[in-house]
Amino acid sequence: MIPKNKDPEYLYLHVPFCESICYYCDFCHVVYHAGMAEKWLDAVSYELEQRHVNRELKTIYIGGGTPTSLSAAELEKLLCLLDPYRAQVREYTVEVNPGTLDDEKADILKRHGVNRVSVGMQSGNDELLKTIGRKHTFEDVRNCIGILRKAGICSFSLDIMYGLPGQTMQDLDETLADALSLEPGHLSLYSLTIPENTVFARRGVQPADEDLEADMYEHIVSVLTGRGYEHYEISNFALPGCRSLHNQAYWRYDDFYGIGAGASGKENHVRYDHPSSLKAYIEDPMRTDDTPLTLNDEMFENLMMSLRMREGLDMRQFQERYGVSFEQVFGTKAQRWIDEKYLIYENQHVRCTEKGMEILNTVLADMMDEVQ
Amino acid sequence: MDQKHIRNFCIIAHIDHGKSTLADRILEMTDTVSERDMKAQILDEMDLERERGITIKLNAVQLIYHAEDGEDYLFNLIDTPGHVDFTYEVSRSLAACEGAVLVVDSTQGVQAQTLANTYLALDNGLEIIPVINKVDMNNSQPDVTKHEIEEIIGLDCENAPLISARTGLNVSAVLEKIVHEIPAPTGSPDAPLKALVFDSFYDPYRGVIALVRIREGKLKVGDKVRFMATGAEYEVSEAGIRNPNEVKVSELECGYVGWFAASIKSIQDVRVGDTVTSVSNPASEPLAGYRKLNPMVYCGLYPSDAAKYEDLHDALDKLQLNDASLQYEAETSQALGFGFRCGFLGLLHMDVIQERLEREYNLDLICTAPSVIYHTYLTDGSMIEIDNPARMPDAVRIDHIEEPYVKAEIMVPDDYIGAVMELCQNKRGIFKSMDVIDAGRNIIVYELPLSEIIFDFFDRLKSCSKGYASLDYELIGYRREDLVRMDILLNGEPVDALSVIIHRQDGYKRGSDITRRLKELIPRQQFEIPVQAAVGGKVIARTNIKSLRKNVLAKCYGGDISRKKKLLEKQKEGKKRMKNVGSVTIPQEAFMAVLSMNDDPKK
Repeated sequence: MIPKNKDPEYLYLHVPFCESICYYCDFCHVVYHAGMAEKWLDAVSYELEQRHVNRELKTIYIGGGTPTSLSAAELEKLLCLLDPYRAQVREYTVEVNPGTLDDEKADILKRHGVNRVSVGMQSGNDELLKTIGRKHTFEDVRNCIGILRKAGICSFSLDIMYGLPGQTMQDLDETLADALSLEPGHLSLYSLTIPENTVFARRGVQPADEDLEADMYEHIVSVLTGRGYEHYEISNFALPGCRSLHNQAYWRYDDFYGIGAGASGKENHVRYDHPSSLKAYIEDPMRTDDTPLTLNDEMFENLMMSLRMREGLDMRQFQERYGVSFEQVFGTKAQRWIDEKYLIYENQHVRCTEKGMEILNTVLADMMDEVQ
Repeated sequence: MDQKHIRNFCIIAHIDHGKSTLADRILEMTDTVSERDMKAQILDEMDLERERGITIKLNAVQLIYHAEDGEDYLFNLIDTPGHVDFTYEVSRSLAACEGAVLVVDSTQGVQAQTLANTYLALDNGLEIIPVINKVDMNNSQPDVTKHEIEEIIGLDCENAPLISARTGLNVSAVLEKIVHEIPAPTGSPDAPLKALVFDSFYDPYRGVIALVRIREGKLKVGDKVRFMATGAEYEVSEAGIRNPNEVKVSELECGYVGWFAASIKSIQDVRVGDTVTSVSNPASEPLAGYRKLNPMVYCGLYPSDAAKYEDLHDALDKLQLNDASLQYEAETSQALGFGFRCGFLGLLHMDVIQERLEREYNLDLICTAPSVIYHTYLTDGSMIEIDNPARMPDAVRIDHIEEPYVKAEIMVPDDYIGAVMELCQNKRGIFKSMDVIDAGRNIIVYELPLSEIIFDFFDRLKSCSKGYASLDYELIGYRREDLVRMDILLNGEPVDALSVIIHRQDGYKRGSDITRRLKELIPRQQFEIPVQAAVGGKVIARTNIKSLRKNVLAKCYGGDISRKKKLLEKQKEGKKRMKNVGSVTIPQEAFMAVLSMNDDPKK
């Protein structure tokens, strides 16, 4: 009998609205519309109640979409809905797109306890920003950080993309310098992927050459670690003390609430996915596709998520959670990757080496055999 | 029913000219099949046939036709496969008939297999009823088609029915023609039994079922019978006909088409074209025309997962129960482990078997590139037959090598002559003749090495002629050529399953083509892999597959778990179709790369 998990301590809320659609994005999004936003807020309120969300949450993360595409009044209303749950919250993050944040909205965030903002900078090069369908410039990013600081929100993260169409190493280098000039505590750097159903996919844009992408990745790691950032997850870098608590919960495979159209949650051995249709969500906020997770599912997914972190998978916690040791389940396959220096055992953890991180999919696809 | 009222016939046509559709209409119009039971194209039994729209296995149905003269006639409709690989089987099913309905698509006119099948029917002395099909189509040209049939084949088409098998238009005229023009069977009911085997299949409960046409005498349940070519003797346990459901009868009379079972365990005993006679009152001579079929094309089949070797063996055993022309024997490859060298009548036959193994038996296979049989004359004067390039002896032991040639007749419109000739030229073809058959169409005859056409010739012919060229070919014997074995080395190790026999003068070109193709097909791995082509130990082409550098999902948060897992599953699924050879993982397609042609690196 698998023991019942305690209530989740982490909450993700998805805001499905955007002011415009970026060419690389296949996330759940609709262009902002005032009437819809009202109905959506009612649905969120209903879902929070029905789910009996834990009032002792440790983190809240409001992502999107573009949360700040909501009007000031709507934003205020949304944050009020979350107020009852934030007494114990240590990290409260909202995603912000440059150009959609003003002093009024920043003050609302501050008043409701938001203490961390993730800013979609993407690039320091205005031409490249245009190429990928972003409506802001780097100057807007700089202004956005100024607004946040003025409102008293000093902890922020910058999202940056690389491997963009036509991007050179020099472009990337300049973007890194631009980003660092803003003195962020945290940086997330993602290589461009082109999922189906994106503008780029329809236009037939090809992802960057594998070698160039690898070169860029390695360059990023060396520049940022040289500047004192810890490379604590494949795509994430933080100054000491600035790691994202919320995202680490995902990578440690803890349970979390997922609220809103297009959001996924995991509670007590079940993953639930909200349909991405806003209309369906408003009709019935509690309608989700539920996937019961077997022991094998959980052991593998835990490994899959945790190997993304520099610290790796906590093998003691693995034993506690699943009643079986990591070595018993994955030991044989893991040994080969350890022998070839892609994985390493260290401090009761199993983790990726630098080169292991770069080809983690290959490692995981192989380890998957052990649980099927 | 007396013999006078029996009509045994088949339908012959070029592929897609409407043979199966006409058979369906005939079945409906003879009230044999209720429309409720009617799946499209009843005679094609196997899913695969239905899907590919081609008929592979033969089948025969008995129908009752109420003719306009007020009398009932017993029709036996025998289906024939429609592909060049199965020419011999077609000829045997034709031999079971007195007449043939020749269907010609009036939007396309006479095609290569129209000719080939008509000649086969004429060889078997059949009465031929030409029928002009698809006259309901906008681009139908019935007069042109009639003229072509008269000019090219020499059949009178003045009264040929203009039909649409799809809508049923004028199909009744075809039925009347069958009554009036196809002769009733002859043959004496009192003579010793002579039954022609024209097909067989395996039934798990009753053993091999033989489909036969009774030429002389009769066949009764309880009779002891002998297969004259194989000498096997059995007691008939059941006999019957199909309409198309199975109906048991106590005897098959002279002139009848039907089936019998006799607890026959091995399909090897029941050869298409053989004659069944009575043990107690045997015929002195078998029916003419029997020949043992030999495979023309060979390839290695290996399970991707070595543990599935026995499963593959069982599956081949089972398939062979239904298919006497499938041959296989165990072989071992250094690269691929334990598997089988399998012989096929042709490429389509090979494709069908591979697909059935994967689909019906759920096996993941690695197939090596198809090969022909090379007659290899050694310096000691002996000759060995080599069906696997990897087995070709060292050059020093070889005096010379001969390879099989075919005569290919290609029917092609004027506009594509250049492209077709270029293709044949590239495939080492020897031009023999070109004849204009009527306005705008020509028959080009080439002699080509069989090895050059077994891989993708048919596809390329179709694509270079926008689908207008049609092909028929026959084996014309072996010829001496300057052939050599080219080996492929991955990471310095020769991979036997990638060896290929090529013409010496093509060495450099083929070598660089193949190494380049392999570089495209073999996914990057954790280390750099040199790819080399070598003839006689000398490397003639080389390239490198760079090492894998980045394969990781950039973003992976709480909401991405399912997506990420699916991605990994897909990656793993892809790996199933790959084989670890030494330290290198090779996808299935790479084993075919050795045969692909130079001009199209993407294909």
